[in-house]
Amino acid sequence: MAKPRELRRRIRSVQNTRKITKTMELVSTSKLKRAQDRVVGARPYAQALAEVIEELYAPELAERFPLLRQPGKTARGPGVRRAALLLITSNRGLCGAFNSNLIREARRRLEEMEAQDTRTELHLVGKKGVSYFKFTKRTIASQRVDIGDKPTLEHAVELATPLMERFAKGGLDAVDIVFAKFNSAVSTPPTTLRVLPVTPPAQRRSGGRASKAAVNYILQPSAEEILRELLPLSVTNQFYRALVETAAAEHGARRTAMKNATDAGSDMLTILQRTFNRARQAQITQELAEIVGGAEALKG
Amino acid sequence: MRVSLISAERSVFEGEADSVVAPAYDGLVGILPRHAAFMTLLGKGIVRISGSGGDKRVQVAGGFLQVARDVVRIVAGSATPADS
Repeated sequence: MAKPRELRRRIRSVQNTRKITKTMELVSTSKLKRAQDRVVGARPYAQALAEVIEELYAPELAERFPLLRQPGKTARGPGVRRAALLLITSNRGLCGAFNSNLIREARRRLEEMEAQDTRTELHLVGKKGVSYFKFTKRTIASQRVDIGDKPTLEHAVELATPLMERFAKGGLDAVDIVFAKFNSAVSTPPTTLRVLPVTPPAQRRSGGRASKAAVNYILQPSAEEILRELLPLSVTNQFYRALVETAAAEHGARRTAMKNATDAGSDMLTILQRTFNRARQAQITQELAEIVGGAEALKG
Repeated sequence: MRVSLISAERSVFEGEADSVVAPAYDGLVGILPRHAAFMTLLGKGIVRISGSGGDKRVQVAGGFLQVARDVVRIVAGSATPADS
């Protein structure tokens, strides 16, 4: 049986670790709340943009917008020849399998695209993704680690603008984002979203025509001009949402991971404490037996 | 009429108003109740939403304004409260 003093040392160390994980859990919970508010706050904007684009969109206009250019129609060969993949990970660890899930999804997507002969360049956000792909020695087209857990619209603009420009000029045929979709604090599946080319609304819903007839807008300037302004906004917004959702998902994942760690620590403590008590009692019993034995011997 | 002012990050204003003045891409537009269905791009400037509770002024840049069935929706690329 282990010595009581060693056991006491282990108990203290587990107690301290548990204190830390408990605190991190609390910190994540409050940060999650704020991040969640940002996710919810971003929703009406995205919805309003999508609705208006759907109302204004007409298939005749599609050819005039470079952001709507579908691969295969204009490219010489069929399908996507050059693509970009943006992977969003967190800067910090201690959040369970969160980052490895994202990296796995990105690798799956890369393999899938390379199997189709697509030259794919990799753009990374977040330290965890950067250090993984540096380790595998893959060429990284761009990387940044300064975004942290409070992404702003400017960050999204900085990420989206160069990619949109290159797509519009024909340097890229497709742009995907791999991020953690924030369904709820406990459900944050890694997701791949194709942001460019923009999926024409008519493909998503066939009811687009009907709702267009319902309200006859006075348009100033023309529908085409308005769409030209709104399409880039909508693409940028998708980048922004990916950033915000990943930030919220990171806190959710960390909270779960830290809660598990705290629970595991408590279980360990119970067992250690019990072992310690037994060891202490055994020691006392033994000492008593020795004293009694000694006294008996003295009586002679 | 109902007015909502939304920016990419959050919903800035939501409520009833008597009039809205907004900077469209080519000049100011004023919207009163029962305005015809209307859609325009926004430029840079200050949106003024006037109601029974006083004026609310918000600096906006980019985005669009949409009026349909007595509902005004201002979707701004960026929006920050302006001092009145």
